[in-house]
Amino acid sequence: MPQQVTRLAVVFGILILALVLARSQLVPKTFGQAGHYRAAAVTEIAAAKIHYAGHEACAACHEDIAKTRSAGRHRNVACEVCHGPAADHVAAPTDVHPSAPKQRGRCPQCHGYDSARPTGFPQIDPVTHNPVRPCISCHQPHAPETPREPEACGACHGSIARTHAVSAHALIGCTRCHETDRRHKTTPLLIRPSKPASRAFCAGCHARDAGSPKEIPRVDVTTHGERYVCWQCHYPHFPEAK
Amino acid sequence: MDPRFQTLQEVLQQVKGYIYPNEVELHWGLLVVVYPYLTGLVAGAFILASLERVFNVREVQPTYRLSLLTALAFLIVAPLPLLAHLGHPLRSFEIFLTPNLRSAMAMFGFVYAWYLMVVLLLEIWFDYRQDLVLWSRRESGPRKWLHRLLTLGATDLSEASLRFDRNAGKLITLIGIPSAFLLHGYVGFIFGSVKANPWWSSVLIPVVFLFSAIVSGIALVLLLYMFTSLVRRVEIDMTCADKLSSLLLYALIVDFSLEVLDFIHRLYESEESIKILSQMISAKLFLSLVVLQALLGTVVPILLLGLLSPAFRSRGLVEVPDELRRWAYVGAAVLIQIGIFSTRWNVVIGGQLFSKSLRGLTVYKMELTGLEGFFVSAALLILPFVVLYFLIKVLPPWQEGETAAQAGLAEVA
Ligand code: HEC
Ligand code: HEC
Ligand code: HEC
Ligand code: HEC
Ligand code: HEC
Ligand code: HEC
Ligand code: HEC
Ligand code: HEC
Repeated sequence: MPQQVTRLAVVFGILILALVLARSQLVPKTFGQAGHYRAAAVTEIAAAKIHYAGHEACAACHEDIAKTRSAGRHRNVACEVCHGPAADHVAAPTDVHPSAPKQRGRCPQCHGYDSARPTGFPQIDPVTHNPVRPCISCHQPHAPETPREPEACGACHGSIARTHAVSAHALIGCTRCHETDRRHKTTPLLIRPSKPASRAFCAGCHARDAGSPKEIPRVDVTTHGERYVCWQCHYPHFPEAK
Repeated sequence: MDPRFQTLQEVLQQVKGYIYPNEVELHWGLLVVVYPYLTGLVAGAFILASLERVFNVREVQPTYRLSLLTALAFLIVAPLPLLAHLGHPLRSFEIFLTPNLRSAMAMFGFVYAWYLMVVLLLEIWFDYRQDLVLWSRRESGPRKWLHRLLTLGATDLSEASLRFDRNAGKLITLIGIPSAFLLHGYVGFIFGSVKANPWWSSVLIPVVFLFSAIVSGIALVLLLYMFTSLVRRVEIDMTCADKLSSLLLYALIVDFSLEVLDFIHRLYESEESIKILSQMISAKLFLSLVVLQALLGTVVPILLLGLLSPAFRSRGLVEVPDELRRWAYVGAAVLIQIGIFSTRWNVVIGGQLFSKSLRGLTVYKMELTGLEGFFVSAALLILPFVVLYFLIKVLPPWQEGETAAQAGLAEVA
């Protein structure tokens, strides 16, 4: 056996031993029992203190509020989202009092304008929307309503409205293309506006023989993109001729 | 305004088209560009060393040890950008303690460890052992002890024992070549297997990575060889430089062909992503891809080396004096480094510039300070040279050293 081999064997032996030792010391006992994680973590997490009681628990004592909420637009917003974890309060109602977000800061976390929010979600710009006064002075937090119905579609369709406002279609009002019942603004999920359904709709302005103003660019509707509806190629709220 | 919003706003002004909100900011920045660049240099330098050993390319012998030390210096620094990027460096040991066989990224820890411990360090050790013993006999003070420690006590210099060194070195090189391929192919593999990203997801990516690695490694060793010769005031061995540059040219041509193949393949496949990708190239990557990577980093060096290096016959197509040829090689090698760095940039940054909606592009704003910033990356690119400096101090790779050692051996005998 050459000297080199024995010496290297010692070095590698020490390294491997160190690894085995480190593993035996540092790898948690229950690691790998149930997957690539520490199995005991599950029972540890299960044993952790419970902070949230869940909105069903609140209904037992705050029946009136629970009822109000379940009839309003916040019906899907759980109590503790606004009041914070309240398990302690459920256990000892008179000793522990949950907080309530009375200031302006909290509501915009959900209602501040953000283009990533789903279309139709009610959004405001917290800086310009009735500044300074607390939100709850005008909106009942448990069953929020807007004191008067919003005038602009952009209140809820902010992203579309902003895009539309700088598009070639900016001067065409939303309702020219979407017939909208007034009630859509108060019960938007139930009463829905119409949407253009066929090529003929766009052709009404863009066909060669349409009776619309001369400046509007024309296409030959019989041959132009004939196998698709127009909005498969042109985004109707920001049409581009590319 | 909150400074974070300030940057966000600046970025948003340059966003084009429609992108999802979580795509505005890039998750992998400059540090992740530096990382494949460094591992590429490791693999490339090692493969160059292997050429001499396995395929017996005698001419590049003067750079054999230099390439090994270069590979080691860069390998030591290679994980640092990742650690800086991820944070929590102590957690990195978890990948060895609790290996996850189903994670490509986690298994890379083992590829790295294998390459460092079993390939590079062993090969260097076997190659230097004789010298280490002789040095430790001749020297005094701390150097003596350092060198003696490095021999691990294997001080036998008999003919049989030296023959064993040579054979072991050769065997390790044989294992080393596929390992070096694995090391860098793996980096490409990790990008290539991101199914959701049309810019990355390609079976060709690991191969392209590999050849660009070889190109960058050879170019780096060429530069280092010239530079160290200059500093040490010794004559540059022109046959060696010529051979290196010919090898560089061959590798460059293969690399370029592969990239062109990848390009044509994408054009021909013309998947739904092709439009946004071509927009990205013309709007965001024009400088780094077309100008730096393709033109300055590939075409110009191919022309320079093709005309001047003796790659196709015993002399260059255009004959020029040695001095001019040396400068041309240096120029080509520097351009290649810039080009390969741009390649890494284009892969890593490019893959995150377009939206998964295929309808918009974002921008990458490089920071100057901070952990992900320019200065840290620059420091990480300089660090390997500092490490190399110390390695060279401890293990001089020069041939004079070897011959002196041989003389010493004669004395002992
Ligand atoms: C066991 C009955 C009980 C349950 C269950 C219960 N509460 Fe209460 N809650 C009370 C009582 C009683 C008070 C009045 C305490 C007082 O005035 O000292 C109260 C007061 C409150 C207040 C007002 C605190 C204040 O400072 O004025 C809030 C907010 C509140 N509860 C929220 C909740 C929420 C949220 C839940 C569900 C997680 C919940 N409660 C569940 C009994 C209950
Ligand atoms: C959108 C946030 C929000 C949600 C969801 C919400 N609350 Fe409130 N709640 C408030 C705010 C804000 C106040 C303070 C109102 C005030 O001071 O006028 C409040 C006040 C209260 C009070 C104090 C008594 C009162 O009427 O002034 C109780 C009790 C209460 N909430 C219980 C509940 C329960 C139970 C639920 C779930 C069924 C719930 N809240 C859901 C925001 C919310
Ligand atoms: C956890 C997120 C969340 C928080 C916090 C929240 N809301 Fe809401 N809000 C909603 C949801 C969800 C709706 C219902 C949207 C729908 O029906 O599509 C809604 C609806 C509303 C509406 C009805 C808008 C309309 O057009 O009729 C108003 C007003 C409103 N919230 C005000 C508030 C106020 C004031 C607060 C702060 C006390 C608040 N919200 C806090 C999620 C939230
Ligand atoms: C001065 C009373 C007042 C205050 C204070 C107020 N709002 Fe409103 N809010 C209104 C009125 C009126 C409307 C409906 C018309 C409109 O302005 O668009 C409305 C509409 C809304 C809407 C529905 C979207 C829309 O424009 O229709 C939301 C969501 C809303 N407000 C949230 C808030 C939040 C969050 C705050 C606190 C930051 C707040 N409001 C403060 C009066 C108020
Ligand atoms: C109070 C908020 C609100 C206002 C104001 C509002 N919408 Fe909506 N709108 C919604 C919601 C919520 C949806 C449902 C979104 C969904 O299902 O994804 C919706 C859906 C729509 C749809 C799509 C219907 C479908 O079947 O896909 C159209 C079109 C529309 N709105 C047009 C308008 C127009 C035009 C206006 C102005 C006249 C307007 N909306 C005002 C909340 C609003
Ligand atoms: C030139 C006609 C036109 C105008 C003007 C227009 N829309 Fe539309 N809109 C359409 C068409 C066409 C569709 C259907 C697209 C589809 O089905 O993919 C649509 C779809 C929608 C939808 C549902 C799909 C989505 O993208 O979320 C909403 C919401 C909507 N429009 C809101 C608006 C609002 C708000 C305005 C005014 C700011 C507006 N539209 C103006 C033509 C128009
Ligand atoms: C009320 C008439 C009207 C209707 C209906 C209409 N458009 Fe337009 N469209 C216009 C006008 C006005 C312009 C802008 C002309 C200009 O640039 O001066 C325009 C411009 C365009 C452009 C060219 C934009 C550019 O960059 O040059 C396209 C594409 C287009 N519309 C597509 C559509 C589609 C698709 C529909 C159906 C969803 C549609 N339009 C419905 C009036 C209309
Ligand atoms: C298959 C995709 C496709 C479809 C479907 C399609 N378009 Fe186009 N459209 C284009 C392209 C591409 C251009 C720009 C090149 C050109 O002018 O032909 C364009 C251009 C236009 C223009 C601008 C012409 C100009 O002279 O500036 C208008 C207006 C237009 N389309 C309207 C429509 C209308 C209305 C429909 C539905 C009847 C429609 N398009 C359907 C792809 C399409």
